[in-house]
Amino acid sequence: MSRRLYPLASLEQIQNSPSRQDGIPAELEEDLRAYGCKLIHQAGILLKQKQVAVATAQILFQRFWFVTSMKQFGIGDVGMGALYLASKLEECPLRMRDLINVYDLLLQRAAHSLKPEGKEFKYTPMSYFGNTFYDLKDALVVAEMQLLKRLGFDVHVVLPYGTLVNYMRLLDLTGREDAVSRAWGYLNDALQTPVYASYPVQTIVSAAILLATRHLGIPLPSTPPNCWWDLFDAEWEDVWAVCGYIMRLYRERSLEDRRQVIGMLTKKDVRRWLEENAPS
Amino acid sequence: MDAVEKANLERQKRWAKERKVGEGTYAVVYQGREVGTGRKVAIKKIKVGAMKDGLDMSAIREVKYLRELEHQNVISLLDVFSSKTNLNLVLEWLETDLEMIIKNHSLVFLPADIKSWIAMTLRGLEFCHRNFILHRDLKPNNLLIAADGQLKIADFGLARDFADPGYKMTCQVITRWYRPPELLFGCRYYSTAVDMWSVGCIFAELMLRTPYLPGESDMDQLKTIFRALGTPTEEEWPGHTKLPDYVPVGQFTKSSMRDLFTAATADCLNLLSKFFIYEPRKRISARDALHHPYFFALPNPTHPSKLPKISTQPSSRTLEEVDGNVDLDSPGPAVKAPAPVPNRLKRKLSSVSSNQDGRETYARRLDFSQ
Repeated sequence: MSRRLYPLASLEQIQNSPSRQDGIPAELEEDLRAYGCKLIHQAGILLKQKQVAVATAQILFQRFWFVTSMKQFGIGDVGMGALYLASKLEECPLRMRDLINVYDLLLQRAAHSLKPEGKEFKYTPMSYFGNTFYDLKDALVVAEMQLLKRLGFDVHVVLPYGTLVNYMRLLDLTGREDAVSRAWGYLNDALQTPVYASYPVQTIVSAAILLATRHLGIPLPSTPPNCWWDLFDAEWEDVWAVCGYIMRLYRERSLEDRRQVIGMLTKKDVRRWLEENAPS
Repeated sequence: MDAVEKANLERQKRWAKERKVGEGTYAVVYQGREVGTGRKVAIKKIKVGAMKDGLDMSAIREVKYLRELEHQNVISLLDVFSSKTNLNLVLEWLETDLEMIIKNHSLVFLPADIKSWIAMTLRGLEFCHRNFILHRDLKPNNLLIAADGQLKIADFGLARDFADPGYKMTCQVITRWYRPPELLFGCRYYSTAVDMWSVGCIFAELMLRTPYLPGESDMDQLKTIFRALGTPTEEEWPGHTKLPDYVPVGQFTKSSMRDLFTAATADCLNLLSKFFIYEPRKRISARDALHHPYFFALPNPTHPSKLPKISTQPSSRTLEEVDGNVDLDSPGPAVKAPAPVPNRLKRKLSSVSSNQDGRETYARRLDFSQ
């Protein structure tokens, strides 16, 4: 096995994450992680930020929740901090005010979606020197520092895109544009799951290829001892587990479930939820 | 307090700050010790609270790259911890830097010493380049010297990776005297060649004992370069007139390096001239430089522990050992260099505190200002 440059969560951290220790159910944590990543992605698009910075931010965000509980930090603040930090790491720094404005819009839109239906969403911009700005700015500075500190200042992230191109070439699939773009899409969607913080890149890329080729009915050698994923040092169990994480993103969620997630953007909301749902 | 806070506190307790040795815009440097072993360390405290935009880019770059790089000739980052709102980098303690050594005219350099310093610089830099990292601020005061004589490349505040070819980067990097002409012409796509130019300047400075190309402004820097090396022709450097900030600065003919570097061997001059090739793609790489005949010819490079160093004792070397590389009586370089008036020489971005009783107190430089 080659030496890995990026850190992965330990088995213990995966089995019993800090949020779970605080009483947040596994499924809810998964949904909150995914929602935090969606916000990062939306903010990235609105800010026209490079995808490498957005992906890096999402991976740092996912790692953060293996060392910290959502009772202590809100997914909104940490997501904003992760995008800010990742943009610096990838040499495309953002203006603080731009990022704050965009997050303010996203948070307002989230709050609006919880209100009774009927009214159309209208964004109210914050005042230039208002408290909203300074509160968000403080939260941003704290989140950036906490991310660094809690990740042990290890901010190395390896993105999967180059590996996918190589693997597709090796499998002689570069001619199948549908397969390539589909696999690419799965890699991006996987950024909303914790897999980048718990599996090596080659496993995740293999999972994306597996999903893409099976959905498109492209046959690849898959009977032992001739399995294509062996070529990429990926274990079948791991590849299959990553596929599971990705596919779970697409499952139907009830309106209540979705509203519950949107209503837990801050640590205050999480704490309130924990009190209301405390086991008696 | 959760596990992370506890771990941080543990780490913080491992290091003790002793005294302040320097201050820059974004950080304060302390001399400190590892509590358990008594080992001397430098602790660089990055001020966070004072900053408008969160953590400074150069601090982030430094943490990112030093975490990754581990080499004998690159400064090592021992630990990182935070205290309240501050970020602290624990770096190995290094006594002095190459600038201090060059400026201390009581020291005599042998050709073998220069070879040794340049070899160590190139080894450290080759390692950075092999790992796709550009340093972008090489100059004598960023080459620190350990107590055992090992040279270490420090200050990665301007460093960045260059894995993406064709990615636009800023040309406002590298301290002016060590900046290559392509950056002065506003070139936004560049590579390892920019660091190699700086190495050439350092190499020349080691021989001259004074900066080789000390321009007073960006414009003057180009003139200074062309006066020394001749104005490049389209043949020597195809396409340079098309660079974004290209301005004609006049025609100069190449002055002979042989006349300036009187004591240099043919191998030495040959290597030096390869660092100063105008066309960046043809400029020698760190790897090729290390394979240059200069490093295989006699004299062999001095062992790091035997290199000249700043100390209270006068040099123990006898005159016989000195082989005419430097004129001992003159305070300046023994060359017919068009040397600038010394007191007009103001090295940018440096703040050396030295007291005149022979012993130099040395403050780690904090180059965050670019």
